[in-house]
Amino acid sequence: MLTKKIVNLIEGNALRLSQEIQQRLLTHPSTLSYRNIDQKVLHNWIYDVCSRFSFWLSEGKKRGEVQKHYRNLGRERFKQKFALPEVISALYLTKRHLWEFVAAGREVDSTLNLNQIVEASFLLVRFFDHAVLHVTEGYEEMLKKAYEYEAPLSQPKLLAEAIAAKQKREEMIHEEPKLPDICFRMGMARLG
Amino acid sequence: MLNRLIGMIERHAGSMAEELKEKLVNDPTTSSYKSLDERTIYDNIFEVYSRLGHWLLKDSEKGEVRTHYSNIGAQRFEQGFPLDELIQALVVTKRHIWDTVLHRGIMTTAKELDSAIDFITYLNRFFDMAIYYTTLGYYDMLVIQNKD
Repeated sequence: MLTKKIVNLIEGNALRLSQEIQQRLLTHPSTLSYRNIDQKVLHNWIYDVCSRFSFWLSEGKKRGEVQKHYRNLGRERFKQKFALPEVISALYLTKRHLWEFVAAGREVDSTLNLNQIVEASFLLVRFFDHAVLHVTEGYEEMLKKAYEYEAPLSQPKLLAEAIAAKQKREEMIHEEPKLPDICFRMGMARLG
Repeated sequence: MLNRLIGMIERHAGSMAEELKEKLVNDPTTSSYKSLDERTIYDNIFEVYSRLGHWLLKDSEKGEVRTHYSNIGAQRFEQGFPLDELIQALVVTKRHIWDTVLHRGIMTTAKELDSAIDFITYLNRFFDMAIYYTTLGYYDMLVIQNKD
């Protein structure tokens, strides 16, 4: 696989990278709540992503693992009273740090093929897209449980009503405008 | 070279917006979009594609991204959208741009690949911000509603 070298590079530097990412989360204004959780747990979470990078990026049945893991994380962060935007920001800061590390490789390691970097970016982005999506789903699940909040359009009946209302609106827009009868009685020509 | 990739998206903004609009209204993971007027969906996508250079390079402080996407998040909350569908729609938009670049942009030389890496960096930075601020706008409305 083209990206094996990059994956090895991240896994080989997992400890240093996770310490740097942890520091980034603790100082970034959008993720300040991360100061309030057990730092060892936070470190282990980041280290798990970096040290098993090939596992997380792999295709197929492991996709189910990503879903399960990040839905659980969403539920857990809800219970810990994190705001959802903070959780999402933490994931993006992690992705950005890893991407900066990979992209910098083109300057420091001339043997690193540019094709490998482009391919690695695709896998990295796809993994974090899934992670963000599943964290949100887990968090939404808890909102439903704790506050009985469910977005109206996620309920089939309400969605069908909203679609019907839209269709009605669009039909009205497409109807030919009707001129008052008086225009015809006065002999005015209808244009267009 | 980076500008060439951005220019390519901007030039095809109309047909690409039409293509993505169809994708969003027909994809079961973004079914709420079926309730939005098709013109609104098209206009929102066209706004990103036709001014991609502005969004990626000129709004360096991401101030416009913040205002624009927080508003969209709040508005979609009011319209009853589930948040995961909003995120999914933005992810699909980003992929649509990248797929078009891969499909139409020739990237074989070292210089071209180097520009592709810059493009990926800018594209992801923009969409990360867009998703973050959409979530923030949505979440703020949710908190306000639960306080009432």
